[in-house]
Amino acid sequence: MKKITTGMAVAAGLLALLAYFRGGISLVLEGLQGGGLMLLKVTPLLLIAFLVAGLIQVMVSHEFIKKWLGKEAGIKGVFLGALAGAMVPGGPYVSYPIAASFFISGAEIGTVMAFIAAKNVWSFTRLPMEFALLGAHVTVTRFLVTLVFPIIVGILANLLLAGTEEKIRNQVKELAGGGHND
Amino acid sequence: MREVGIMIEAMVVLSLFALILLSIAVKRKDGSSKKALRSGFGMMKGVIPLLLFAFILSGMLQAAIPAELIKQWLGSEAGLRGIIIGTLAGTSIPGGPYISFPIISAVHDAGAGIGTVVAFVTGWAMMGLGKLPFELAIMGTRFTLVRMLLFAVFPVIAGWIAYVVL
Repeated sequence: MKKITTGMAVAAGLLALLAYFRGGISLVLEGLQGGGLMLLKVTPLLLIAFLVAGLIQVMVSHEFIKKWLGKEAGIKGVFLGALAGAMVPGGPYVSYPIAASFFISGAEIGTVMAFIAAKNVWSFTRLPMEFALLGAHVTVTRFLVTLVFPIIVGILANLLLAGTEEKIRNQVKELAGGGHND
Repeated sequence: MREVGIMIEAMVVLSLFALILLSIAVKRKDGSSKKALRSGFGMMKGVIPLLLFAFILSGMLQAAIPAELIKQWLGSEAGLRGIIIGTLAGTSIPGGPYISFPIISAVHDAGAGIGTVVAFVTGWAMMGLGKLPFELAIMGTRFTLVRMLLFAVFPVIAGWIAYVVL
């Protein structure tokens, strides 16, 4: 956790330097202000996102996770994860807490990867905007071309990452801290 | 004001999810709802320091990476070169859809090929830098790294399929 904080602070520092060379101190302040404003704007969403994440962790029983999203679920888990990802609205500050709660509760890594990939390329709530700004031709082409990606990503993750899955899950648990009380 | 519309829409959908789950929890009458609140709150408390950094980093990304430059960079690229450049350009867009789609739309209008545009949208959606601070804060370095390695080829594949088929 400390390493991640340090890494992000260093990255923010480097970017601030880059912004300084591009537009002086005012651009650096603009960046800070942009981040702060964004945080203020999304705070209500953030609160509900963590509420949903908490509800998922408590409500979704171990049996459910095992049967539908875990190892025994296999390809079914990948499909369900993708479907859930497509339905999640809002930015990454909403989808990642929810992805983490599934992962912490025992969902297989392919399920979680499919969830994120579907949030990225299926996202039902983003489609109307894509349609409006990029037009029907681009949107339909883009959607069809990427349609199978979340499923492929999920299957690949399950195949390739079975050995490291627990190590990855432990880090997510560690970051969530007191979030899991069982 | 599209951004505000999207936020409200997200709020409504997410609140609906929360309400449904919460009402099931309350009906159980076994303290599930309280436990869920505690669990969600605990998780938030855990990641708040990181999340604060994530928002600062996100703002800095937007200040340091000029969206206009990405637009100029792509111009009227097409073909295989366009697909690669489109993927990289998509990856380097630092914000949400209200930042990326207008840029992509401009690139499309400027005459970029469909392969380039599809690679651009997919590159932004699957690999976009703007999501990284939040992913690192909540999922950690291991997950983020593995996810990026796994996703990296897909925008190129998407652009290539669109280019070959259309």
